[in-house]
Amino acid sequence: MELNYAVAMMLVALGLYCVIAKRNLIKMIMGLSVLTDGIHLFLISLGYRAGGTAPIVAGEMISDLQGFASRAVDPIPQALVLTSIVINVCILALALSLAVHIYRNYGTLKPSEIRRLRE
Amino acid sequence: MSGMSIIPKTIARLLFPFVAFFGAYIVVHGHLSPGGGFPGGVVIASAFLMMAIAYGLSGLKRESALVRAEALETAGGVAIVLLSLLGISLGLNFLQNVLPTGFLGELFSGGILPFLYLGVGLKVTAGILLVLLSMLFAFGGEE
Amino acid sequence: MIPHSPILAIVLPLLGGFLSPVIGILERKHGWRRATGIFALIVMGVVCVVVGSMVTDVWAGQFIIYELGGWSPPWGINLAVDALGAQMALMIAGLGILVVLYSLSYMRDETGLGQFYALLLIVIAGMMGTVLTGDMFNFYVFLEIMSVGSYALVAFRRTPEGIEGGIKYLFIGSIGTTSILISIAMLYGLVGSLNIADIGAKLTLYSGNVPPALTLAFALFVTGVMVKVAMVPFHTWLPDALTGAPTVVSALLAGPAAVVGIYWVARLPYLPFGMPVGVILVSLGLLSMVVGVLMALVQRDFKRMLAYHVISQKGYMVLGIGLGTFGSVLGAQGGLFHLLNHSTYKCLLFMCAGAVLLQANSQKFDELGGLGKKMPVTAAMFLVGSLAISGIPPMNGFVSKYCIYLSGLELGQGWITAIAVVVSALTLASFLKAFSSVFLGQLPGRLEGVREAPRPMLISMAIMAAVCVAIGLLPAIGFNIVGPAQAAAENSVGYITHVFGENYLAAGGMMP
Repeated sequence: MELNYAVAMMLVALGLYCVIAKRNLIKMIMGLSVLTDGIHLFLISLGYRAGGTAPIVAGEMISDLQGFASRAVDPIPQALVLTSIVINVCILALALSLAVHIYRNYGTLKPSEIRRLRE
Repeated sequence: MSGMSIIPKTIARLLFPFVAFFGAYIVVHGHLSPGGGFPGGVVIASAFLMMAIAYGLSGLKRESALVRAEALETAGGVAIVLLSLLGISLGLNFLQNVLPTGFLGELFSGGILPFLYLGVGLKVTAGILLVLLSMLFAFGGEE
Repeated sequence: MIPHSPILAIVLPLLGGFLSPVIGILERKHGWRRATGIFALIVMGVVCVVVGSMVTDVWAGQFIIYELGGWSPPWGINLAVDALGAQMALMIAGLGILVVLYSLSYMRDETGLGQFYALLLIVIAGMMGTVLTGDMFNFYVFLEIMSVGSYALVAFRRTPEGIEGGIKYLFIGSIGTTSILISIAMLYGLVGSLNIADIGAKLTLYSGNVPPALTLAFALFVTGVMVKVAMVPFHTWLPDALTGAPTVVSALLAGPAAVVGIYWVARLPYLPFGMPVGVILVSLGLLSMVVGVLMALVQRDFKRMLAYHVISQKGYMVLGIGLGTFGSVLGAQGGLFHLLNHSTYKCLLFMCAGAVLLQANSQKFDELGGLGKKMPVTAAMFLVGSLAISGIPPMNGFVSKYCIYLSGLELGQGWITAIAVVVSALTLASFLKAFSSVFLGQLPGRLEGVREAPRPMLISMAIMAAVCVAIGLLPAIGFNIVGPAQAAAENSVGYITHVFGENYLAAGGMMP
């Protein structure tokens, strides 16, 4: 599955570019979100097993747990990604609230003009 | 923030129980199928948000709504921690299973896991509602 | 040891943090005063007792391993406390309770205190989790808990400076933790496990030929940790965050948050990667020391100057640990000892600045002056802190800096010692300038009505000053803590053996 990894790294690069080079706070926040989505894609692709099934135990599979476990896709990266998505939702909510406050206090969303601390 | 016209109001009122029930289904079956506390909590919170957008916030008083959401979130969080500490009171380690684990794949199985997910679902619902309500109240009348 | 104390040290602040909003609501309805603050103080007191009992056991030679849920590693998450973790947990608990005591009077006029103490206790729980855990992804989760809590705390008062500092901290901190996440993902793909001891055991198979993926993972991990420790060139968030935050939060970020960063810097060369990183540590440490003190000399804002000094002092610690990887035991011990001392005097200095800010309502040098007559106790504490940070005997700063000077000479690199001594001299100069412009000189008319700081703040400051002088006069106290910590940091084989048993490392990390 080379395509997954290539797309994941492209998303990470795009997100990083947005955080570093954009001139609008909201675009930087969106870049942060794209960056973390790329990492999540990378993590999930790590657990892939060719020709595997979903790691959900349903009725008819209980009799053959060993075979099922060797055929199922690895569920640990999925748990890691779930946790990471929740953490990033919190960071996103906090960043957007701070952006609203910045707009009210400074009147602008350009990072180069938010420099009251440097004087 | 005023509400919308009569069509969204009716549809929101009709759909609310279904969406909330679907969210509760995801939360309760967290140990059997994908989902669990986090996505289930978000779905239930979005059911409430749908009602808030359709009907407008003028009927809600800011103080009481935020206080109730905070209290629910505290209850969810404390429930999770107390359940995890339950094992310690019986002499085992933290987060150990102390309730009967039934047969694999049935609803009442998995020890304390379903109850942990109920606590997580409650906390996530209240938390996301708190975040969204605070943001909506802060705009104070803008759409 | 109180049974289950590692997990109690993490869960008790978390429980306190969850309960604080409710206590805040009750406080508003019934009109109790300072209920949330006193609740936080009680919680931190219990945490101190728990951590104390755990630490005395670890120093007696026991290596505490606690398995969550009864699942044994590597399938379960375990907490592993060795002497290094014990030192860090002790510092976090001690500094935490002093910061909460200080905040009782600093925040007396604020509203929304329920949420403030909730965030504070959750940040402390995150810090405890970071230093006590034995699992990589668990470390990432606790690091995020600590970071997101502190982003919110920096912007708590919603002043323009606070929000600006908060959002800058958020962006740069997020990039740091994102690098750590990519590194953990690559490690999982390479090794197939998330347990620190397990990764350490399995990576010894690669010690001959290192695959490029492992080098990339290590580089990303080092980058993430350096962002969190605010080394140059990743330091830009620290001055803005510490200046805009309420002083309680500045003291919290400058003290215990540094502990977490330096804990992982101390583990970097040994566990879970076993790769050489000494040159990077030494060079970044030297760079941060020099840049920090040079930028501090030109600042006109009290807290911003203190923030640049934080960067400089953390450079000393990283330098010491870096010298330790080249075989200088004194260097590594000096670095960890400097962490112990730095937390005491840096928190003390921030608390003095906060006292001045509270009473005189200003934190710029141009507007302050002559406060020595009105606030004599604060001035005396500030003098103690300034002498300690510049490395003047008989304060504790002298002992740790002397260790680092000696280790530079011991390795034959005299120029490192020379740079360190020059930076100490510049630090002294900067603090003399600060002291004279704030506490000596003429009192402006506006500041006639300024009184001494309230009692709880003075008590915290006095305790820290006493610790500074005590460790300075009896350095054996410090060496008893730091010696085992440094030995435990380098003893990666011992760590793996304790978690998994004797034959694990020999079998190349495969379970029988």
